[in-house]
Amino acid sequence: MIADPGQILFLTFFGAAAVWFGVVVFRTRSMVRSAIALLFSQTAVGAMFLVMQAEFLGVLQIMMMASEMSIMAIFMVMFMMDPGGLGAMEMTHQKRLSLKAGGTGFVLALAVILLGGWGAAVQEVPEAAVQTAALGRELLGRSMFIFESAGLTILTAMIAATMVAIAPHGEDEA
Amino acid sequence: MIWLALTLMAPFGAGIAILALRRQPAALALAGSALGLAGALGLFAATARGDRIAAALPFLPGFPARLEASPLTATFALMVATVAVAVLIHAAGYMARDPGRVRFFGIMTLFVTAMELLVLSGDWITLLGAWEMIGFASWLLIGFWHHRPAVPEAALRAFLYTRSADLGLYLAVFLLIGATGSPEIAAASALTGPPALIAGLLLLLAAAGKSAQPPFQEWLMRAMASPTPVSALLHSATLVAAGAILLIRAAPMLPDAVLVAVGIVGGFGAVITGLMALAERDLKRLLAASTASQHGFMLITIAAGAPVAAVLHLVAHAAIKSALFLGAGIFQHDRNATTLDALAGAGRARPGVFAGFALAALALAGLPPMAAWFSKEAILAATWNSPLAPWLVPLALAGALLSGAYMGRALRVLWSGPAERAQTPVPFMAVGLWGLVILAVTLGPAFGPLEAMLGATIEDIPPFLPVLGLAVAAGGAALGWLLPPRRLLGPFLGPAERGFGIASALETLSARSALTLAGAVARLETEILAATLAAGRTGTRVAAATCRIDRDRIDGAIFALTRGLRASGQGLRRLQSGLIHRELALSMIGILLLIGVLLIAPLSF
Amino acid sequence: MTAELVVVLIMAAALFAIGIYGALSQTNLVMIMMGVELILAAALLNLVAFWRYLHPGAMAGQMFVLIVMTVMAVEMAVGFGIAVARFRARGSVEVEEARELGG
Repeated sequence: MIADPGQILFLTFFGAAAVWFGVVVFRTRSMVRSAIALLFSQTAVGAMFLVMQAEFLGVLQIMMMASEMSIMAIFMVMFMMDPGGLGAMEMTHQKRLSLKAGGTGFVLALAVILLGGWGAAVQEVPEAAVQTAALGRELLGRSMFIFESAGLTILTAMIAATMVAIAPHGEDEA
Repeated sequence: MIWLALTLMAPFGAGIAILALRRQPAALALAGSALGLAGALGLFAATARGDRIAAALPFLPGFPARLEASPLTATFALMVATVAVAVLIHAAGYMARDPGRVRFFGIMTLFVTAMELLVLSGDWITLLGAWEMIGFASWLLIGFWHHRPAVPEAALRAFLYTRSADLGLYLAVFLLIGATGSPEIAAASALTGPPALIAGLLLLLAAAGKSAQPPFQEWLMRAMASPTPVSALLHSATLVAAGAILLIRAAPMLPDAVLVAVGIVGGFGAVITGLMALAERDLKRLLAASTASQHGFMLITIAAGAPVAAVLHLVAHAAIKSALFLGAGIFQHDRNATTLDALAGAGRARPGVFAGFALAALALAGLPPMAAWFSKEAILAATWNSPLAPWLVPLALAGALLSGAYMGRALRVLWSGPAERAQTPVPFMAVGLWGLVILAVTLGPAFGPLEAMLGATIEDIPPFLPVLGLAVAAGGAALGWLLPPRRLLGPFLGPAERGFGIASALETLSARSALTLAGAVARLETEILAATLAAGRTGTRVAAATCRIDRDRIDGAIFALTRGLRASGQGLRRLQSGLIHRELALSMIGILLLIGVLLIAPLSF
Repeated sequence: MTAELVVVLIMAAALFAIGIYGALSQTNLVMIMMGVELILAAALLNLVAFWRYLHPGAMAGQMFVLIVMTVMAVEMAVGFGIAVARFRARGSVEVEEARELGG
């Protein structure tokens, strides 16, 4: 099976972009920039989905992350003492431990990736429309129970988040 | 039907009335037994006319209590009632000053009721019940003077001996009902084969126990501790007779092999107990042994296949023996003792009573024209004609000789000796005695018609046989009068006085083995107890050790564990910083550990 | 060995490592959530790659992607809810100041 060099190229490019923006998220001092960098990183991930011919998922990823990250940026501005990162405020702690943990995770994952026998890659993939139709049948057929559970989970999370966020009456009046 | 009810219910009612009212016991008992006698007479007359009176009273489901008055049973009933009346008349005098009169007459009448029920019963279950009742009543009567020494023991012995033999009756009855499917006595005669053989032998066992045949004769001798009227009633017409009655009624079903066994038991019983009577030193015990001997005669007759002759002898013996006992009772009353030494000359002091006693004694010896002469003639004829004649006839003749001898000896002792005058008159006792003596003397001629009524054929007998019987009886009586037992018995005297060791052998056989078994069981139990105690002690020690281990080791381990848990909990508490980044780092470490476990797990298995 | 799969997996591993570093090192609750987002993005990449290159016919792989996206959304919602509550109570979302859960 011959690898598609174009695909490899695009995957490497968007993967590097995602990783680079991921690094930027924790390197900039500005919260807004962090949020935007995360948005770019996620968008790069969505682009990789598209390269891998999962068109529905790629579009979904990009759209979801765009809205999610903009909401996150708003919250940043709301809650941070220094959203612009203008002061030289230290925003991190236990840096060494964090670096070690990340490094260990990376090394272990690399070991698994390189040592695991993945077998031959399948080059043929269904058309986008066929994929989407099959995904719909999967969701509303065999996996309907899981799908419905996910929907219910989101509903529960919405209600719970709202309940946590709204101020109790007694506190407001006090 | 009315006669049947009168025969049974009059003595019963009298007994209940005596025990309930507790006054005038003698009069009530006499009235009851007289009414009973009237009933029995009515029954006898009715059956003599050819009627057959039967009644079935509701009892167990499917097993009604049957009563029936055939010529045979009516004869028995009349005999029982007659003797009962005479004995009760005598007892009215004998027991006049006894404080236990009420109890005595109450039990006596109930005993008579039970006996009437026994003779009139038409099925085995009723017979069994009556059999038990007379056994119980006889225990009460023999133990009447229970405060005297040796009396409770004698009652208990009588009860146990007869009870052991009763086992045979129980098994025989179960077998008969099971084999024929009917509880009626009449139905048993159809039985043949091994069931008839086994049932017959079991019935013989029961009859031998009740009729005091060897080896069970000992209880009858000891039962002489009872009041003399009781002895008279028990020995003549009731308790002892029950055994003979049982065999007479069962005679149609007995196979030949059983008849041989009956002949052996009866023949040797007649001779052995006759010898014992001759050697006896107590008048009442002498009479008791003679009773056993005479019942041996009846068994011989049954073995010879002539139960009707046995009935004749039973009737004759009932009258004679009760008369003899009543006479002995009068002498006992005078001298307050029953040993022959103490009674020497007692007859000379009361010539009237002695005359009655002597008549009865000669009648028992078998001298004509008195009752037993006729019955013994019938017995000799029956044995002569039976297939077992070669050994039954000599045994019967020996028994007859012995009955003459011991009666002659008793008369001699009573007559020879110092007599004292001025005895108080004893009207009741004398009336009872003489009534029976008259019967004993005059019953003989009635035996012919009775035999015909019972359906027996008059058998041809060689003419020398009655002469031989008469010679034997007279010779026996003469020998007994003339010669002391020491000369007469020679080397047999000692063994005869000791009852030929049968009783002691029986006791050795049963009591010794039982005692040995009991001793073994006791030893075993002691050892079991010791083993149990040892086990208990071991258990206690183990428990103590367990307790120590529990306290020192297990509790210590538990406390150490709790201390360790507490300390480690304190240590772990420091990990719970509440800082989210710390917790996150811990989560990472935990996830790493989990992944490690998941990777290692497939390798190790 | 398939080059495309390995490339994607290496990129995902890098994103995962960065996410872990961020989640552990940041003092701000919102920043921690960003790290978690990166970790989940790495998981999404893995899922899509495995689907594409190993089992393109099995739509359950794409279904899993949807479920993980749901988890991301839920995480966001709940995380922001908590952040709002803490800000109201303390005027800050710095995790160093939250010690109430200490043992």
